[in-house]
Amino acid sequence: MYQAIVFLPLIGALIAGLAGTSLFRMMGREAEAFGHDTGHDHGHGEHGDAHEHHHQPPWPMYLTSALLIVTAVLSWVAFIGYLHDGGVQKFEILRWVGSGALSANWVLRIDTLTAVMLVVVTTVSALVHVYSIGYMGHDPHQARFFSYLSLFTFAMLMLVTSDNLLQLFFGWEGVGLASYLLIGFWYKRPSANAAAIKAFVVNRVGDFGFALGIFATFLIFGTIDFDPIFAGAAGQVGKTMDFLGYNVDVMTTICLLLFMGAMGKSAQFLLHTWLPDAMEGPTPVSALIHAATMVTAGVFLVARMSPLFETAPYASDFVIIIGAITAFFAATVGLVQNDIKRVIAYSTCSQLGYMFVALGVGAYGVGIFHLFTHAFFKALLFLGSGSVIHAMSDEQDMRKMGGLAPHIRITWVMMLIGTLALTGFPFTAGYFSKDAIIESSFASRAGPGAFAFWLLVIAAAFTAFYSWRLMLMTFHGRPRASAATMEHVHESPQVMLIPLYFLAAGALAAGFVFKDYFIGHDYDAFWRGSVVSTEIIEEMHHIPAWVIWSPTVAMVLGFLVAWLFYIRRPDLPATLAAQNEPLYRFLLNKWYFDELYDFIFVRPAFWLGRLFWKRGDGWAIDGFGPDGVSAWVVDITNRVVRLQTGYVYHYAFAMLIGVAALVTWFMFGGAH
Amino acid sequence: MTLATLFFYLFSAVMLASAVMVISSRNPVHSVLFLILAFFNAAGLFILLGAEFLAMILVVVYVGAVAVLFLFVVMMLDIDFAELRQGMLNYLPVGATIGLILMVELVLVVAGWSISPDLLKTVTSPAPSVTDMTNTEALGRILYTKYIYYFQAAGLILLVSMIGAIVLTLRHKPNVKRQNVSDQVARGPATAIEIRDVKPGQGI
Amino acid sequence: MWLLEQADAAAVLPEIILAVIAMVLLMVGVFRKGETANFVNLASLFGLAVVALLVIFGGSGRMTAFGGAFVVDTFARVMKVLILFGSAAAITLSVHFMKEQKIEKFEYPILILLATVGMMMMVSANDLISLYMGLELQSLALYVVAAIDRDNARSSEAGLKYFVLGALSSGMLLYGASLIYGFTGATGFPEIAAATAAGAGGLGVLFGIVFVIAGLAFKVSAVPFHMWTPDVYEGSPTPVTAFFSAAPKVAAMALLVRTVFAPFSGLVPDWQQILVFVSIASMVLGAFAAIGQTNIKRLLAYSSIGNMGYALVGLAAGTQEGVRGVIIYMMIYMIMTLGSFACVIAMARKGRQVEEISDLAGLARTDKMLAFVLAMLMFSLAGIPPLAGFFAKYFVFLAAIQANLVTLAVIGVVASVVGAYYYLRIVKIMYFDEPAPGFDPMHGEVRLIAVLAGAFSLVFVLIAQPLVNLAGAAAASLF
Repeated sequence: MYQAIVFLPLIGALIAGLAGTSLFRMMGREAEAFGHDTGHDHGHGEHGDAHEHHHQPPWPMYLTSALLIVTAVLSWVAFIGYLHDGGVQKFEILRWVGSGALSANWVLRIDTLTAVMLVVVTTVSALVHVYSIGYMGHDPHQARFFSYLSLFTFAMLMLVTSDNLLQLFFGWEGVGLASYLLIGFWYKRPSANAAAIKAFVVNRVGDFGFALGIFATFLIFGTIDFDPIFAGAAGQVGKTMDFLGYNVDVMTTICLLLFMGAMGKSAQFLLHTWLPDAMEGPTPVSALIHAATMVTAGVFLVARMSPLFETAPYASDFVIIIGAITAFFAATVGLVQNDIKRVIAYSTCSQLGYMFVALGVGAYGVGIFHLFTHAFFKALLFLGSGSVIHAMSDEQDMRKMGGLAPHIRITWVMMLIGTLALTGFPFTAGYFSKDAIIESSFASRAGPGAFAFWLLVIAAAFTAFYSWRLMLMTFHGRPRASAATMEHVHESPQVMLIPLYFLAAGALAAGFVFKDYFIGHDYDAFWRGSVVSTEIIEEMHHIPAWVIWSPTVAMVLGFLVAWLFYIRRPDLPATLAAQNEPLYRFLLNKWYFDELYDFIFVRPAFWLGRLFWKRGDGWAIDGFGPDGVSAWVVDITNRVVRLQTGYVYHYAFAMLIGVAALVTWFMFGGAH
Repeated sequence: MTLATLFFYLFSAVMLASAVMVISSRNPVHSVLFLILAFFNAAGLFILLGAEFLAMILVVVYVGAVAVLFLFVVMMLDIDFAELRQGMLNYLPVGATIGLILMVELVLVVAGWSISPDLLKTVTSPAPSVTDMTNTEALGRILYTKYIYYFQAAGLILLVSMIGAIVLTLRHKPNVKRQNVSDQVARGPATAIEIRDVKPGQGI
Repeated sequence: MWLLEQADAAAVLPEIILAVIAMVLLMVGVFRKGETANFVNLASLFGLAVVALLVIFGGSGRMTAFGGAFVVDTFARVMKVLILFGSAAAITLSVHFMKEQKIEKFEYPILILLATVGMMMMVSANDLISLYMGLELQSLALYVVAAIDRDNARSSEAGLKYFVLGALSSGMLLYGASLIYGFTGATGFPEIAAATAAGAGGLGVLFGIVFVIAGLAFKVSAVPFHMWTPDVYEGSPTPVTAFFSAAPKVAAMALLVRTVFAPFSGLVPDWQQILVFVSIASMVLGAFAAIGQTNIKRLLAYSSIGNMGYALVGLAAGTQEGVRGVIIYMMIYMIMTLGSFACVIAMARKGRQVEEISDLAGLARTDKMLAFVLAMLMFSLAGIPPLAGFFAKYFVFLAAIQANLVTLAVIGVVASVVGAYYYLRIVKIMYFDEPAPGFDPMHGEVRLIAVLAGAFSLVFVLIAQPLVNLAGAAAASLF
């Protein structure tokens, strides 16, 4: 069964990718179609010219979707089994690497943590596949799209089922690749390519740390398999190793390096810049990869490595601090963004920060629980916003929306459910998981915990504000779009709405149904040691009432302010922005991180690159290497060709000269 | 100094001189005539060597046929040799240098050459003494037996050159009357002659 | 007394039969009324096949005839079969071409047959006189076929240039032969070998060798005796060019191999120097000059020059392995070049031949198969593994390295890198340039030869072992 779960998406990806796109046939066409397709955020309807309509058969999308639905059903079966019993199961696929002391086999490792991730990944993926049938149905390259989606799913499943760090790294890079391909799916659009490259490069920074972490692990433990590492972690506490000339604590170093990878993949503070730009990809991709699954890989990594992090308190503190700052920072930026997808992207970033705080304080189950619920409502929000964008004829700017609620009632309801869940409205999914994180951060009592607690509460208020701002700006108030656009506003087809229903159900009920397993009294029976169990789970049930109420109060506050700003006094935001111009600019420009990085890293890198290119490669290597040699060859060729004059007596002379030279050589040339 | 030696130097000197004249004389007809003179002197050298057959062949074939043919061709084709030779001076220095180098080297080598007495034994078919049999007979004895292979090969080469000459030059022109020997021979009195009884005072 | 001893007849039977067939067909051509070219073509092919069978099954081991002037050994048999094959291919390629160019003549196959007799005599020559006889028989026929398109100025010019320079080279050869005869007193190869072993000759014999090798190098178009090649290749009708580049090269190379080994096996270090020089010059010039060409026949002419340089690397090694390399090289080279020329013959638009490399542009889109075959042949000629051309080069370079001629091998490899450029350029033009108008449909027999050559270059790696063994046996028969 688990093999089927992992490999069915791969099979779908291969068939759709190889047979569906018929690479060979397309190579010629691609070239001639180049430049015609400017790309739209969704390939719906707008491709009027006949050129784009070399329609591919629709079977690749049905095939991949069907396979994913099967996979999702199987995952749920497995997950339900894990609710009550089941420990670690391993399925060896093949012997993979054996090099000296390093050996890494391809093994599917299934435990509760994996089962949770399987459900999240396959469910969202299946729903996104189905949604995409509607959303991408008219895109000329849909087979490629579905192939990438399935490839991503396979890589993600590889990641969560890994049994050693190398296998995990394989999945890690696989999802990175799929993310790159999907962000740049509309490769004729320069901004999409730039975003894809940015995502890839920023992730490389994190992956560099991750790889170093893997090396360090192998160096210290002599293996990269999970079980021996976990078993040996306690024995390494307090030991030191040499790193970059410093004597450093072993476990702290390893954990920090691994966390560096997680920071990149999960878009944490300092390495977050790629995520908002990744919204250049098609909206279903944003929902699947950049909200529900891939970006949570970092969270999964830390949870999976929880036995290591438990031995490294400083590393855990660092995780808390970074998580809290991210949660706060992203929420502040989200306050002022006008692009509907960017708001949700910053929201994702912020929510990932929440998860890391939970992991940092040791409440691993809580973090994973939030990952689980977040997948539902964030995917719901993204797909819902896709539906809005679709209705608005590709408009993403919220300033040009408004008053949409009566026109697209179902989408409105869905977005409302997502917003409620995100802001933590009582008894929705977010209410249980997010509040639990805030409670656990308070319960940890350590310095970073208190720091995190206050930041998270403030962020919760901001979250409510920007979420409701999004809802109100989009669906309520006066319509700000042109009359023509408003006329065209229409509800999405059923194939796009049905996934929303499922996600809405999850967003409403996932917290309520599963809270006992994930964070309640069935905690130990459910997790069975797949994440470390700490006393904080117990402690978070014994905290003051005001702490429990604080997130809810923050939420209400956020809602009220939003209502005031966008319904009651729509002129207020502009006034406020004008009064606090520097702060507004600072937030609108995302704390100037892009500019800062551009100045510190990008420009020096370009300068260095240009130096190597022009001087090093162009002048020195090409000049003396290929170009110099080829110029020399051409020169010789011209001389040689000029010898061939066409006159017989020249030819005869050449022969005679040859003979004379040889004879002279024998006469005087030292032949004897 | 015997008479034979005297004649050897005479023939050689005249032959070399006329060979130089072949390429240097302005009038092409003179060139051919000098060529004929060179052939005659070569024939004389052959006679001195006792190769009377080769000498006669040289005179008969080369002088009698080839050189005369040359003469016809040169006279019939109006070739401006002066023009052809114009470029020659440009190449004279290079050509002369190479020729000189080669000549010096060859002279150096050949001057130091002496046939060892043993080597004469390896010669496959030494010419018999003139007193035993004539050159012609000696050649005839080996040409169709020992050297049948070379002889036939030479025949094939001549065949090829004949085919080549025909292929490259023969053109079948329509409306050209040709002599047909068999027709001529087959023509007897019965077909060629018609006897008419001509009455006096009347025409046919 | 029989004119021919029975033993002599057995040895020389294939040559006699081929000559007789040629003469009979000549009579047929002259006296039969109406269109005779087709019949003569077919009969010639049949005759070549019969003679090839005779060569293969007409006995084994070493046979000599005519007092040692003519020798048949494994080396001679292998080379003769190759030559017969090359001649047959040349006739096959010409059938439709000559008809379409309106230069069809029944003498053409007959001249090819007679040239083939000459080449077979060359391969079996074991005496300076028989060497010269074979060479002249072959050369005369070639001069004529070069000019066979006699109303075409370029063809006539080609024939005349070839003839004049060929006469010069024959003169050199004869001069060398007379020097050798003069200094050793013998014309038979074994006798010369005995005389040189006894210390006769010295520098005089060496001069003779220089002149003889110069004469033969002209025939294999090795630098600096190559100058005729591009002009003659370009001017002659394409099937004739194909013929020039195949069978006569094999014959001349075989003759060169025998001429340096049979009489002068004691002077290896001396003639080695000549061949190293000629080989390097050929490889380098072939590689560089071909780059500047726009006419594909000229390009193949330089390719041919370069390839002869590579083959001479094996000969320059002066060892049995080297000779084996030469045999393998000639085998592969002949098939590659025939295939390439078959492709060139296929380059016709509306009945007119085109010869510019740019005419091949985008061929991959107008004639996939022709483009693929030509690409395979070009890759093979460039020496890219695992195609046949790679092994050809491998064996000669291997022999050179074993003979401590590392510098020669290195220069060879560098030259083949330079040479790869123009082969790959053709592939690039065919596959990546904007298509030119398509060619006329290929005739079946041209297509057959092209495809067979392409297939050979592809599958050589599978059939290499027996062929290498055969070449090894042939090389061994010389030592």
